[in-house]
Amino acid sequence: MAAASSALASLLEHPAIWRGGDVAPEPAALPSGYAALDAVLPGRGWPQGALTELLVEREGIGEIRLTLPALVQVQAQGRDVVWIAPPYRPYAPALAAAGIDLARLVVVACRTPKDALWAFEQALRAPECGAAFAWLPTHDERALRRLQVAAREGRTWGALWRRPGQRGSAIAAPLRLGLAPHDGRLAVHVLKRRGAELPGPVLVDVGKRAAHY
Amino acid sequence: MLWTCLLFPSLPLDVFARARSPDDAPRAFVVSGGGRYPRVVAADATARASGIRNGVLVSAALALVPELVLRDRDAEAERRALAQLATWALTFTPMACLAPPDAIVAEIGGSLRLFDGLPRLVARLVGGAHALGYTARVGIASTPGAALLLARAGHTQPVTDRALLPAVLAPIPLVHFDLPGAVRATLREAGITTIGQVAALPRDGLARRFGSAIVDGIDHALGRAPDPRACFVPPPHFASRLELPAPAHDAEALSFGVQRLVQELAGWLAARGLGVVRLTLTLAHERHLRQRGMPATVAPFAFGAPARAPARLLGVLRERLVRVTLPASVETIALMSDETAPLPGRNLGLLPGDDVVAMEIPLRDRLRARLGDDALLRLVPHAEHRPELALRTTGVGQASSAPTKQPRGKGRAASAPPLPDAPRPLWLLPEPQPLAHPLATRPWVLRDGPERIESGWWDGNDVRRDYFVAATPAGATMWIYRDHRHGVDDGEWFLHGIFS
Repeated sequence: MAAASSALASLLEHPAIWRGGDVAPEPAALPSGYAALDAVLPGRGWPQGALTELLVEREGIGEIRLTLPALVQVQAQGRDVVWIAPPYRPYAPALAAAGIDLARLVVVACRTPKDALWAFEQALRAPECGAAFAWLPTHDERALRRLQVAAREGRTWGALWRRPGQRGSAIAAPLRLGLAPHDGRLAVHVLKRRGAELPGPVLVDVGKRAAHY
Repeated sequence: MLWTCLLFPSLPLDVFARARSPDDAPRAFVVSGGGRYPRVVAADATARASGIRNGVLVSAALALVPELVLRDRDAEAERRALAQLATWALTFTPMACLAPPDAIVAEIGGSLRLFDGLPRLVARLVGGAHALGYTARVGIASTPGAALLLARAGHTQPVTDRALLPAVLAPIPLVHFDLPGAVRATLREAGITTIGQVAALPRDGLARRFGSAIVDGIDHALGRAPDPRACFVPPPHFASRLELPAPAHDAEALSFGVQRLVQELAGWLAARGLGVVRLTLTLAHERHLRQRGMPATVAPFAFGAPARAPARLLGVLRERLVRVTLPASVETIALMSDETAPLPGRNLGLLPGDDVVAMEIPLRDRLRARLGDDALLRLVPHAEHRPELALRTTGVGQASSAPTKQPRGKGRAASAPPLPDAPRPLWLLPEPQPLAHPLATRPWVLRDGPERIESGWWDGNDVRRDYFVAATPAGATMWIYRDHRHGVDDGEWFLHGIFS
């Protein structure tokens, strides 16, 4: 009996199979550095090789800090981090203090949304790029699908940031998170994931790290 | 020692024809010599098919094919081409020598293992010359002189055994042997027309009659005497240009010519063990425009890391060419290396399949080629108390590619300047924003501070600010300051950063 159930368990490990009530196993994931968040993300981390859409309710709530431990890890693997069309100037001293290797961070300024879209796709496809963030207002479904395919082929973690007031897109990204402040902490609402729906937000304490920048 | 001779029988033709894409419709093309009654020096396949032979009068050729394309022979271009080919040959061997006017000889005995044996190496030599736009014929023998003779005689079978040389060379006609015309004529009148017959003549008599050159030539070819040759040394800088067969109107039409030049550049880089960091492509416009003072279009390129692989060079150049706007059509393109850096070659893998390397163009190069040099930023922290100045951005290429060129002094602190112990936000606003209004409606909570920053009185941008970490009623954390520049203690509030 025990042998039969272990055989069943190993069968269910197959990546093509996922069960309701559970999160689907992701082929590769990047631990976020926050245990509470990892617990609800498919594959126990940020999906490597897929697009993540992040809806920010308000800027200044620790939304970038949420991603920094994963970015440090990407750089430790020898891959670049690319930020495309960030809304403000990324502040080097703070990034360096957070452990980001500035030599492996490429910030791309784009004149037009079309350029930004192109750069995002190139970054997602490039093998040397491990994580690509883009602040893009686009909702073009075809473009987003292209980006998702590019992320899969380049095995890159692509994050599409939506600034306050921008709505999310219905399709394309397999993981969509809403970020909101909650009592000095960051509430991560899993709006969409490969797996069962999650009733409430996950509270992540990114503030502790902030205090000593 | 094993020598190969690369003979370029249609060199006078190829220096012009190689700028023409093979897809273009073939037109009969000949190169003519000078003089009052110029004769055809070389004719391409289409011209030969129409009955034009080398040596016929140009007027006769024109009578045969009225739409004939005619160019004057350019000996200087042929010399340059031979030097380019010798440079490229250094990709395969450390030792290549010029054999003017139309051949190079190279020692390949030491390169056989690296290039998987003689047949593959020969295929690469011929294929590589073809990619550069030249037709090559090969002769292989254990002496350079014999290799040259075999190539001229069209004897493509390698002769690796020196003992076989006399028998192989004997039937080769004397016309392929470098001799003064008068000597050759005299020998022919004596009924001597092959190398074998010359070699059979008494040495001392031959030397007395015609000078020692002929005896030495035979000895060198047969390997009886050493044949020292001056090794070709590639030029210290790469510069090559290509005359287009017809003026090109758009960047797309240029790409074929650029491809040829890039192949040459790659050969030069490999021969010198370098990778290119910066190069310049110059597009010269038509002559009548040049004479009226129109400058050439100059497109500089920079690579994020030293590059050598033709695929990578070409990929970046193509992206860049798309952005070039041509004010007029282009007649000549020139490629020049401005800055290079050592780029070691790869060792062969121990196991087969080890040495497969993806020839991808690095992302940074691709982005920069398309978006422009200033679109890519690399952040460099800078030791400075004023927050807006504690950050420098550099183009991605400069710092990484030329480490020796970084500015010295206090601005250099790319590694880690001392960071303030106080909190710093991840986002900095390009300009501090006045905060008076939001503060008046609902108060913000000051959580950390004040941190006094007072600096810069010496350069006119003096600041005197008290920085605070503040929580907004909506739950965001901001970096704000109170401006005390004017000495008043109730200065205005500004938003400067976002703790995102």
